[in-house]
Amino acid sequence: MTTAEDPVVAVPGRAAETSATLPAGPGTPAHHQPFDPESTLRLRVPPARSREPAPGYTFDEITRADWVLGPVPDRGWSAAPGARRTWVSRALLACLLLVQAVLSLRLHNTAFEDEALYIYAGHAMIGHLFHGAPDYGGFSSYFSGSPALYPVLAAWVDSVGGLTAVRLMSLVFMLGATGLLYSFTRMLFNERTALCAAGIFAVCQSTLFLGYFATYDALAILLLALSAWVLVRVAAGHWALPLAAAPVAALAVGVKYASALFLPTVAALLLLAAYRHLGGRQALLRAAVFTAGVTVLLGIGLATTDYLQAIRSTTTDRAHGATSVPTMAWDCFRWGGLIFVLACLGTALYARRDRLGEVPGGRRTAPDTRWRLALGVVLTGTALLAPAYQIHLQTSVSLHKHIGYGLLFAAPMAGVGVSRLMGAHFRFPQAAIAVGVLALTLGMSQSAQNYGIWPDSTYLMPELAKNVRPGQKWLGQPHEAPVYYLSRAGLTDYTYWTSIYYIDYTGRQGRHLMGPEGYRAAIDDGWFDGVVLDWNDQPGDVQTLIRGEMRTSGRYRMAGALTYRTSVGTGHFEIWLRVPAAHRR
Amino acid sequence: MTSVGRRSALLWALAAGVSSAAGCAPSRTAPIGAGGQGPLARTAPYLPFDVTWMIRPKHGRKYLGVSFAGGATTGGVLDAWAGKAGKAPNLLSYRLAWGDRFPADGTLAVWKRRILPYLVWEPWRTALRDIAAGRDDAYIRRTAQAVRDLNVPLALGFAPQMNADRYPWGTRKASPEEFVGAWRHLHDLFQDTGVSNVIWVWSPSAADPVPAGRLRSYYPGDAYADWLGLVGYYTRSGPRTFDTVFGPTIEKARTFTRNPVLVAETAAEPGAREPADIRDLVRGVTTRQDVVGFVWSDADQRTGRRPDRRIDSSPEALAAFRRGVADPRFGFDVRRP
Repeated sequence: MTTAEDPVVAVPGRAAETSATLPAGPGTPAHHQPFDPESTLRLRVPPARSREPAPGYTFDEITRADWVLGPVPDRGWSAAPGARRTWVSRALLACLLLVQAVLSLRLHNTAFEDEALYIYAGHAMIGHLFHGAPDYGGFSSYFSGSPALYPVLAAWVDSVGGLTAVRLMSLVFMLGATGLLYSFTRMLFNERTALCAAGIFAVCQSTLFLGYFATYDALAILLLALSAWVLVRVAAGHWALPLAAAPVAALAVGVKYASALFLPTVAALLLLAAYRHLGGRQALLRAAVFTAGVTVLLGIGLATTDYLQAIRSTTTDRAHGATSVPTMAWDCFRWGGLIFVLACLGTALYARRDRLGEVPGGRRTAPDTRWRLALGVVLTGTALLAPAYQIHLQTSVSLHKHIGYGLLFAAPMAGVGVSRLMGAHFRFPQAAIAVGVLALTLGMSQSAQNYGIWPDSTYLMPELAKNVRPGQKWLGQPHEAPVYYLSRAGLTDYTYWTSIYYIDYTGRQGRHLMGPEGYRAAIDDGWFDGVVLDWNDQPGDVQTLIRGEMRTSGRYRMAGALTYRTSVGTGHFEIWLRVPAAHRR
Repeated sequence: MTSVGRRSALLWALAAGVSSAAGCAPSRTAPIGAGGQGPLARTAPYLPFDVTWMIRPKHGRKYLGVSFAGGATTGGVLDAWAGKAGKAPNLLSYRLAWGDRFPADGTLAVWKRRILPYLVWEPWRTALRDIAAGRDDAYIRRTAQAVRDLNVPLALGFAPQMNADRYPWGTRKASPEEFVGAWRHLHDLFQDTGVSNVIWVWSPSAADPVPAGRLRSYYPGDAYADWLGLVGYYTRSGPRTFDTVFGPTIEKARTFTRNPVLVAETAAEPGAREPADIRDLVRGVTTRQDVVGFVWSDADQRTGRRPDRRIDSSPEALAAFRRGVADPRFGFDVRRP
């Protein structure tokens, strides 16, 4: 910035010489003289240069007669914040947030099964918590976050403005996360790095996707960003101040249990930020205080709720999948590779040299190499946590969302990387432009593709609404979106729907039948009034079983097949209706 | 850095916001997930035609069907027949040889005349066991896609009179298991393609009496068939009442299915009894609740050593036909449930 503010300078004498020897420019009229062969052929010998005046500089500007060069303000050379720099940076941040909002809002699809599930579970929880209705869903046993926190909030917003309002709430959360990322990166580094970090994070696919996706994740990321911000902000303050972040961090874990994976990073960030200002002992004290506070709060939470089983089944002891490791590694690289590579670059360059600027005295306050390396490794390494855990489990469920948690922390180092690619005084802007274009195109295309993975049920719901009547029992895959949309119309509620994941059917002999036997018996008995199936190239075992059973039993007839296209393939929804008893043999 | 005026900064920000919003606004060709349907044009319908109500038309309404010999049926032929019968048909039966392209345009033209198309698919050149084994899956899928994309209701019969021996897919060349295997395979491929606008017509011959058990061995199941499309003719020498022509087969079929009956192909031989036969047919169809209609095989087959079965083979027969189908239950509007 300082270079840009430097006035244009020229060597005295050179200007006069230049104007004397150069041919007339377009601004000055040429002298049209008659052709003179003698003078044309004569060798031109420039006149001998006179002795140069004493070295020095003069301004090549036409200025007012009374204008004098003012004193250069200190902030022109200083890293300390100034009002103008703050204003410009915030304006640029606002532009980035605008771009993020627009790119998120362009995503378009009907409710994903998780969105629908959380919202109707929230409505059920509101009924359960505030109106004493029984909880049939057992949501706390299989949700990956507390059903009393985000789902209740989402359901409340849903009752005010529908799914769009809940998704807009997620947008606000993600914009807040980007803003907080900018803020704590600015505190750790400077405005330029913070803007680069916010920019690269704002357009990555997970941010754009979660910015219009009504699940826990946006709120959890916001709360993690908020706790990181609070801790960086108070690191140099009183030792008890980190306790202020403990409830936020604990709430993040309550909202989504997997957020706990990132608490060590937050604590390490506090440790490093405090160490920089106060030394090792004070830093350890603050980190210990924060850790103790979060531990106590989480302990209270676990002791007063029955979420431990759900935490085990959804997070810590999650079922292993069968996705191949190379496939998952490639997905991770596609979705977060750019930020990770930039963060690695930033870490290496930051460890090598603390800053780009030539600020006098700046080096005196610079942190040492080990601290810089530690900060870079902690922040960059966090990006690997969720992918590594999911690759360990070989399950790719929600990987494209979970990768965003780590990228929040890797983004500051990626910002350093971009900033270093640009070089001092914006020396290589083309590098940052190339990186920015790559990030933008990848983020736009990947977020749209991931948002188009599930089939649009715009046409399915009216067809179902024609057939679903209050009190009817339905079997559905998907069942979450029909329950959500049709219960809004008062046609059904979640207690009438059976999923393909769990059935407890009491057969004619009074036996409890579960799993495939349960589905088979229920279909043979015509227990369900209707069945919705999502049929594509890779149907699951239970779907195949259900469909085969419906064909052989003759109790159901396919009433409609609604074809759809997703970003990854085609398929169709099938609506099967029970054949009326009068028409059966 | 040169100073930037607040007004111009505001203008630039506004222009950037407006242009990015315009650039990201959903359009039909936008990527799937970003508010569009992707770069490829969609051929499949968004909403399939619901044929459920057509299987059992309400209020006892009946299909008045007709089939003509030969290939494609033109509108002029239909108009002429409607003029003779005094009522336009609401079901038209025509044939498709296995391996031939599905006549989408002709089917659409039929439907546009408020007539339910009834396509009889005849595997002349392919053995049923080969169809069951999946040898012609590509052709079946192609046809299924064409039927789905056309999105008009279609009654579809496959290998009719499988319980008789007069066709290559009949009892001499194929076993019941092969027929059922081929039928189910065909049906499943149609469903896998997302076809739900088809009424499946299982069409045994009523003229060839077989034991109930043997008839049942040809039945693919209630989930695979919607209509029992019986084929039977009033003849001079054989049975000559509805109960004797179709009754035994319906009775046997009722031991394993309650699906409605469509008299999928019938006619009466010309002669003195023809008007009485026609009256009996109409009475049989209208009095039985489980019979949804009949298809008159209006073939002039005198050249093929077969009798003239057109409704106007005699003035008496024509008058009987006109009187019979004048019943308001015949020929309802197939576009209105």
